[in-house]
Amino acid sequence: MSSAGKIAAEALAEPAVRVRTPRARTTTAYVRYGAGKVGGAVVSLLAVLVTGFFLFRLIPGDPVKTMTGGRPVSAEQLAAYRREFGLDLPLWQQFTDYCGKALTGDLGTSYQFHAPVVDKIGEALPNTLLLTGTAFVLYTALGILLGTRAAWRHGRLGDRLNTGLALTLYSVPSFWLGLLLIIVFSVGIGPIPGLFPTGGMESGGEEGFAYVLDVAHHLILPVVTLVSVEYGQTLLVTRSALLDEMGSDYLTTARAKGLRDDLVRRRHAVPNALLPTVTLVFVNLGRTVAGVILVETVFSWPGLGGLFYQALSVPDLPLVQGLFLFFAAAVIIMNTLADLAYPLLDPRVGR
Amino acid sequence: MSTPVHGSGFPSSRRLRPRVARLVAVAGAAALTTLAGLATPLNPAPQQASAADGDKVLTVAVAQSVDSLSPFLASRLLSTSIHRLMYEYLTNYDPTNARTIPGLATKWQSSSDKLTWTYTIRSNSKWSDGQQATAEDAAWTFNTMMTDEGAATANGSFVANFEKVTAPSPTKLVIKLKKPQATMTALDVPIVPKHQWEKVGDLSKFNNDKSFPVVGNGPFILTDYKPDGYVRLKANKSFWRGAPKFDELLFRYYKDQDAAVAALRKGEVSFVAGSPSLTPAQAASLKNAENIHVNDAPGRRFYALATNPGAKAKNGQKFGDGDPSLLDERVRHALFMAVDRKAVIDKVFQGHAVEGQGYIPPRFPQYFWKPSPSQELTYDPAKAAQLLDQAGYRKNSSGKRLGKDGKPITYRVLCHATDPNDKAVGQYLTEWWSKLGIGVTLDCLDNVTDPWLAGNYDLAFDGWSVNPDPDFVLSIHTCAALPATPKDTGATDNFICDKQYDSLYARQLAEYDPAERATIVKQMESRLYDLGYMNVMAYPNAVEAYRTDQIKSIRTMPSAAGNIYGQDGYWSWWSAVPAASDGSSDDSGSTGIVIGGIVAAVVVVGAGVFFAMRRRATAEDRE
Amino acid sequence: MTTGIPAPATGAGPRRLAWQRRRRSAVRFWAEYRTHRAGLVGLAALTLFALVALTAPLTVGSDVAGATDAPGQPMESPSGEFPLGTDRFGRDLLGLLVWGSRVSLLVGLLAAVLSVAIGALVGVTAGHFKGWYATVLMRVTDWFLVMPTLVLAIALATVLSRSLGTVILAIGVTSWPTTARLVRAQTLAVESRPYIERAKALGGGHGHIMSRHVLPNVMPLVLAQATLMVSSAILAEATLAFLGLGDPTVVSWGGLLQEAREAGAVSSGDWWYLVPPGIAIAAVALAFTLCGRAVESVLNPRLGVDR
Repeated sequence: MSSAGKIAAEALAEPAVRVRTPRARTTTAYVRYGAGKVGGAVVSLLAVLVTGFFLFRLIPGDPVKTMTGGRPVSAEQLAAYRREFGLDLPLWQQFTDYCGKALTGDLGTSYQFHAPVVDKIGEALPNTLLLTGTAFVLYTALGILLGTRAAWRHGRLGDRLNTGLALTLYSVPSFWLGLLLIIVFSVGIGPIPGLFPTGGMESGGEEGFAYVLDVAHHLILPVVTLVSVEYGQTLLVTRSALLDEMGSDYLTTARAKGLRDDLVRRRHAVPNALLPTVTLVFVNLGRTVAGVILVETVFSWPGLGGLFYQALSVPDLPLVQGLFLFFAAAVIIMNTLADLAYPLLDPRVGR
Repeated sequence: MSTPVHGSGFPSSRRLRPRVARLVAVAGAAALTTLAGLATPLNPAPQQASAADGDKVLTVAVAQSVDSLSPFLASRLLSTSIHRLMYEYLTNYDPTNARTIPGLATKWQSSSDKLTWTYTIRSNSKWSDGQQATAEDAAWTFNTMMTDEGAATANGSFVANFEKVTAPSPTKLVIKLKKPQATMTALDVPIVPKHQWEKVGDLSKFNNDKSFPVVGNGPFILTDYKPDGYVRLKANKSFWRGAPKFDELLFRYYKDQDAAVAALRKGEVSFVAGSPSLTPAQAASLKNAENIHVNDAPGRRFYALATNPGAKAKNGQKFGDGDPSLLDERVRHALFMAVDRKAVIDKVFQGHAVEGQGYIPPRFPQYFWKPSPSQELTYDPAKAAQLLDQAGYRKNSSGKRLGKDGKPITYRVLCHATDPNDKAVGQYLTEWWSKLGIGVTLDCLDNVTDPWLAGNYDLAFDGWSVNPDPDFVLSIHTCAALPATPKDTGATDNFICDKQYDSLYARQLAEYDPAERATIVKQMESRLYDLGYMNVMAYPNAVEAYRTDQIKSIRTMPSAAGNIYGQDGYWSWWSAVPAASDGSSDDSGSTGIVIGGIVAAVVVVGAGVFFAMRRRATAEDRE
Repeated sequence: MTTGIPAPATGAGPRRLAWQRRRRSAVRFWAEYRTHRAGLVGLAALTLFALVALTAPLTVGSDVAGATDAPGQPMESPSGEFPLGTDRFGRDLLGLLVWGSRVSLLVGLLAAVLSVAIGALVGVTAGHFKGWYATVLMRVTDWFLVMPTLVLAIALATVLSRSLGTVILAIGVTSWPTTARLVRAQTLAVESRPYIERAKALGGGHGHIMSRHVLPNVMPLVLAQATLMVSSAILAEATLAFLGLGDPTVVSWGGLLQEAREAGAVSSGDWWYLVPPGIAIAAVALAFTLCGRAVESVLNPRLGVDR
């Protein structure tokens, strides 16, 4: 997934470069820096609100006629529906209404589910978070671990294998990998029995601990898919950051002081090199929610991705807009958090 | 990979320790795999062998999301099928021949002017909370739909013509009409318990999915629902027609049809219908599978190529942008004669369909009609080319046929992006018609409603499920079905309006003799065929499959060679008999052991690698 | 990068001089690139794929995509006649795979070019013109950067009609901000050099400075970026096609995967329908990534990329 987005994440990994201007080390400076970041995020959010509203109005299709499913409906009844959903108002008024409500947390009512958009998102969000959260923790940990290892053994066989594998998996389309995993491990092929469920999040009817186990069982294949395609990026960023750091003078100094290699790595090199990785981690955390559309589709996971896709085809405008806003907000918020955390982690930044 | 370039610096005071990360990774992976390992043996999929309580569960794989569980709002097939199971309707359809039979009403009669209908409500149907289901409930349901706009969302059309509905006694329901209505014995409206529903506030926002079990009087009671997860129903042991044989009915979500089929193979589900049916490859592979029966039944759908006859409204206003050349009957006939229906059956449906003839599928033999040899538009590309030449659409030097405006003809064909058959047939059409010198643009959309209703297409893939009574599918081609103005939505399918067809339609409506009516219906089909606006290419089969080791028998509709999913009525799930054996549960047990073994191996190997790496690290340090 | 090369002492004109300098740096670039084994492998793979795609009209021909005269039965498993089996129309899958490479590569390349072109334009102008213009432009860039790319691309592909142009547009329009960011930083660095100052003093206009001085200097970066971008564009094309948002009438690798899924190949175990297109996508994407990384590390040796 996020195949189209991988690059973007890489660019996001360097927001700090711009702000690295030496200033006096004062709290006020940090507050000013933080306020700027938060202000920027708010502007971005508003921009997303605007785009979400107008972009999806371009989808060809009269929502009211779609809502009635082509059933015979009189013009008066259609007008009544339009009134009910506020579609009879001029566009600018619809927009201001929408913004006003969105600011109070009301994202409207889904056309197809007759339920508040916030409720629909609330229903699907925990599922998506469970899937992406688990995958996120695993691929971040795996990426950092293997990345450090590869950098330290730079140029040796282990590094080559690690980097090669990461690059290869990074180039594999996630949905394809998911389908293959289903064929091999769910359906079973040759001597391999079908070990895992083919899709969904639960078998239903389980309670208590059995339910947890059941969900975990369903979780494995999608998580494996996500981790496989995602860990490479973290690995590569960690690795190159660490390689960068390893050329530094202070490491030579540290070694010259007689510190053990292991210690030099752990105490000095890694913490510094982790900075770009941390940014990436935050960015991933935000993107992760939107990034699972494909995996959710392949594994029938009842999350936000599937909901978004369903909403687009109607088009269920309030739901599409709500989800779009939500996805973008997740990235923006995480990105802002990364920006805010960066100076705390790296004393060179934003002082 | 672009990474920020750091200048040399000093170690910062705050550190993220890699060891922590490593521990997290290993612990996380171990926890996850262990969980999974533990999960399986304890958790055989919900085969009927959820043997703890010995309940027999019938699991059905579904893909369509529930739009609402409120009978007043739901319009999707899955939701309305579930309502069939939850609530009794006034009448039902005989599974053998689809004639009207009693439901909540035991008998019914109309006044001589057909304006007053009196239903006798059965006294042996109880709501699941113990209260008696009465005519009062039915009256309340209809009255609510008539007065509350929100409650008319789904089935408002049934009551649009109602004048007054009363319940003079608990067993007597009287409906007064404004004008005669043909659907009075086919009012597919779930009757809800008044004592539960009158407490609901705004019916347009109430989805009936918050508190369970939901009180009903159908063969099953809704006990649980998780959006895009599952819908769970338990058998209503006191159902008046007799309790279902399965204890529980579970609709489980597989958004991916392949996943559903794989689940069937593994015994995770008992039944898969596919949407709209299993693909030929899936059917072929399932046929060879053990303990699986593929039900390949004649379908009730037709699959047609509709032509835009120049969309217009009843007030005479024209709209849309259909190609004017299609108004020439010869062109329409030529186009259809260049369509190799046999290839469509053989290649696209791979035999899981019947070649198209008249409008109504052969599954309804009394109405099925075949064109006579003289009028039949057989596949004949050469003759098609001749017809086009005669009509004045000749090829230019580069082999393209020119329209009256002198430009090469290219038709836009509207197709459903979600239907693989549309795209496959579209590919063939493109090639067949390009040989005629006619270009094709496939307009594949997720949602074709809008261009369709606006008349912005030239041709379109079309299909309807035909009811036992063909009135509806016939009515959608009458002039009366056109929208009143371009702003309205009419009942019309593709804006056909033909005087001769209309007069036949009026005659069959007034005809009470079934045989006579059937003759007129066939004349209508003949007229429709000659017009060339609706060209039926195929009647796709309903291809579905179930596990014979879980379902011993299940009733199809019609009984002889019928479908299981999406019946009119609750017959399939109500009649399904569980298989005695529990053969598949062994399977999952061993699966669990295998998984357990693998997980153990993974954990051991992982731990080994981990410690080996630690060892090596220290060894290196010593160097 | 073209700094610090001593001008040869011949009496050649400046144009010739520049040309020589460029040739020499190209030679040097190749000498450096040659030392990157992974980059060479990637390059070899790419050459192979390019050859296959370019010769496809000779080897398989457009007839391979025709459904009417398909040579086989639908969904045949691999055999001597059809080494990779047949698809749901009975077409030869090996032929389709070869034929599909044209669309996949074309879309990947065009989308990457579009994306990098937008990025370069925005980056150079935002770096050159400072002030509110740059602020607004970078604000927009930042905003695009935080948009969930796939979501935005899906939305665009839904809004527009289904065609290759739409796919290229959807990918190109959503993926340019990275390039813009990098190019802008490079532009700022270049413009701070003294010779730009000199050029300005000599009366060089904005257009002159951007096209004659800035652009040649950011070009290597743009090249590396474009190579990397193709890889993600190819993946994105496959993704959109898989979600049913591609052009259903052309054969592409992503489209083949989607067709395979629609035909039920996954549950029927028809692996030959499913595996080859995926491998092809991964191989091309990997090859482009390897090349891009090698180019990047030649240009910027500080990025410690594997040799």
